Amino acid sequence: MALDEPKGRRPASASGSKATPALVAAKPGDLAAPIVVPNTLWKASNPLAYDGGRPAEVTHLREYGETEAGRVDDARWGALQVVPTTADNIVDLIRTNSLWPLLSGLACCAFEMMSAATSKNDMDRWGMFPFRASPRQADVLIVAGTLTTKMAGPLIRLWEQMPEPKWCVALGDCTVSGGRYKRSYSAVQGIDRVMPVDVYIPGCPPRPEGLIYGMLQLGQLVKDRRGKWDEREIGPTVPDEI
Amino acid sequence: MPERPASARRRPAAPTAQTADSTASSAAAPDSAQYASLDDVSSAQYASLDDPRVMLDRDIGADLFEPIPPFPTTTERESEFYSLRDGEMFLNLGPHHPATHGVLRLVMKLSGEQIVDVDPVLGYLHRGVEKICENSDYYHVIDQVDPLEYLSSLFQEWAAVLPFEKLMDVQVPRRAEYIRVLTGELLRISSHTLFQGFLALDLGGLAPILYSFIERDEIVEMLASLTGARMLFNYYRIGGVNGDLNHEFMSRLGDWMSRALKQTEANATLLNGNEIFARRTRGVGVLDRDTALRYGVTGGNLRASGVPFDVRRAHPYSIYPELEFNIPTREEGDSLARYLIRLDEIRESIRIIDQCLHNMPDGPIMAKLPRLLRPRPGRAWAAVESPRGMLGTYAISDGSDQPFRFRIHDPSLLNLEVASTLLPGNLLADTMAIVSSLDPVMGGIDK
Amino acid sequence: MDRSLKTRLDARLGALLREPVYQRNDETEIRVDPGNVPEVLTILHDAVDLRFEILADLAGVDTGEVMQVVYHLWSPKSSDWLRVIADGLSREDPRAPSATFLWTGAEWLEREAYDMFGIIFEGNRDLRRIFMPADYTSFPLRKDFLLPDDAARSPGAGVRHVERSQAPATVADDPSAGIRRAPVS
Repeated sequence: MALDEPKGRRPASASGSKATPALVAAKPGDLAAPIVVPNTLWKASNPLAYDGGRPAEVTHLREYGETEAGRVDDARWGALQVVPTTADNIVDLIRTNSLWPLLSGLACCAFEMMSAATSKNDMDRWGMFPFRASPRQADVLIVAGTLTTKMAGPLIRLWEQMPEPKWCVALGDCTVSGGRYKRSYSAVQGIDRVMPVDVYIPGCPPRPEGLIYGMLQLGQLVKDRRGKWDEREIGPTVPDEI
Repeated sequence: MPERPASARRRPAAPTAQTADSTASSAAAPDSAQYASLDDVSSAQYASLDDPRVMLDRDIGADLFEPIPPFPTTTERESEFYSLRDGEMFLNLGPHHPATHGVLRLVMKLSGEQIVDVDPVLGYLHRGVEKICENSDYYHVIDQVDPLEYLSSLFQEWAAVLPFEKLMDVQVPRRAEYIRVLTGELLRISSHTLFQGFLALDLGGLAPILYSFIERDEIVEMLASLTGARMLFNYYRIGGVNGDLNHEFMSRLGDWMSRALKQTEANATLLNGNEIFARRTRGVGVLDRDTALRYGVTGGNLRASGVPFDVRRAHPYSIYPELEFNIPTREEGDSLARYLIRLDEIRESIRIIDQCLHNMPDGPIMAKLPRLLRPRPGRAWAAVESPRGMLGTYAISDGSDQPFRFRIHDPSLLNLEVASTLLPGNLLADTMAIVSSLDPVMGGIDK
Repeated sequence: MDRSLKTRLDARLGALLREPVYQRNDETEIRVDPGNVPEVLTILHDAVDLRFEILADLAGVDTGEVMQVVYHLWSPKSSDWLRVIADGLSREDPRAPSATFLWTGAEWLEREAYDMFGIIFEGNRDLRRIFMPADYTSFPLRKDFLLPDDAARSPGAGVRHVERSQAPATVADDPSAGIRRAPVS
């Protein structure tokens, strides 16, 4: 994957730079311009998946709940699409309380994931006990451990094999941003370069309680999003100037 | 996706039935148009009817699945492995599988249920630690080697710190040595307990892993109160350790020690008397003494094959010459022996911790060193006995504050290499019994 | 420091050593030519008073000028570690004989040295890459392979310039920063 020179890079000999624009405080009613990173890194094998690659209409969670988009769900029962009813809430509850993770333990963070699943910090209390070995039966892909360029292919294949609805949790610094392997020639610098991530859990390794907190946040996200998750973007969504 | 080499597309020549003047064979089904009869298939260039290339070319299309091998074979052993005889097939025990030794890929050649040959593919966790260490200063090196064998990261740090202490001619204070041995043996117990749990989990027993994790959580919380982290401790320094023993650590350690032996025996009874476990591991994967020495296997695997080689006694370091402990050795060399040896080692480690606690001296925990560490130019090698075997490090220093070359020799690499000798001849179901009993940790293998 | 080991080594290997036996602390070091490696290792392994039967490590080293293959051995007859340095492999075409005739386990260690440095071990039946993907073209641990400290040098690297650490300047920015060389080999 050849990446272009980033815009922010300055040659070593240049001294001083253009003055950065003055920062303006945002008013509560403003919505900042959405930062949409088009997906140039990753292509689903089925061209119709992920809405056929069309850009998202809604990018901010705040306005999400008010729009029509928040109510459409492919996986819901037909007649209930427009108006959220008790049935939708029940489906959300069902999904939140039995998120089945896929055993995707790559390195050290896998042991904190296992520690979160075993007796002392029990994830079974929230329904996440069965760590499925097969991606076809799993809801959440918890990527625990460093992703290398050699393993990226199999991991993306696992992600694509998981049926919708599915979520992805990045556990540990290596999956969030590359972590301690920032200078490595073979570690992928954060899995959000290759797959859409819902919850980031930093730490090296994060404590099992941290993972449980992250999974609870994911449950909250499931309830808020009401089943609509297609417009997650892949790639770091922070602008260059930051 | 790599292009399939042209040599793999060995379709037989198109039969002349496709011309317009023979209508009889144009009525034949399209997928058998290439072969007039089954005899034609077997006489074609394919070596075996089970060769996956036969199916791919004819029915599905070659770009849906990755061909085996994905690239043309380059070496003698590779072409020997990737050519199938009649009745053999490839099975890919892929990088993602529930037997939780990490990302190991075993391409197995099976004849029915029996394994004929195995080709382990590594590198799915290769993070380039050695290269990063060449560009980091010495404190960062200690931090970088932690996640190699993440279950026993203090041993990685110990092995990293020893050659630098040789290059700087540093004398580590006695209290620091005792603390190092104490924490190291605690982690050895944790690692061996986890080994028991994972061996049972890989063979299908889901309960012992829970007991192992209870033990491990307790030990790791203890070490967290001492070092600050649960897993990647970053505790040892060149010339000593980072922090002194504190009250919380000592009280937790005292609590744990009072029931350690009884808990170990209780955990052992989960599996020792289990007939299924015994039948699946006794006599399975017998590693004889000569093969073990030829492969460079070290650690519990070597001692289970009858060679009493333990770095703590063969080439003592730290304060091990003053401590009293035995080296358990067994003669059988099968998976059960490798399991029982680690139980014995847990008991020996408890004994060592006891002696450390009784004889703990007072004093500083860190030698007096300059802030900017600049060892003398030179080369140094040191080895420690990690739970998996002899972990050795070779450091070349050029006098600056970054090591010139930092090489880590991990025992799990050679322990796994011997699996390619042990697996053939056994059944597919024995794979996990053998590979788990060798206790590989992929972080250390792939670096 | 095992003085008797030095005398034993000089007696058995005398003409094959490039330099005198070097001893420090608990390590003994000998340097040989790459072509003599099979003979030297066989003598070390078989001789009754040496018996270095345990191969502790096989590593490649790139000093910036030459490449080396370093073997570490252990024997029950000596209290020292023995280090055998096969010195003088060229950086353009490093070739060394394989030790797999004595220790089968050396196969994977040599594969690793090949993968990281490009050293070709003649006699190894399975010399292919072990860590990097099979179609990777560089040799990462060589001194002319620079880590991507700034943007976009390799597919996995960070793209933001603020992630640049205080690493030494790379060749692109400052041509005087070349390959790091060891003052002592």
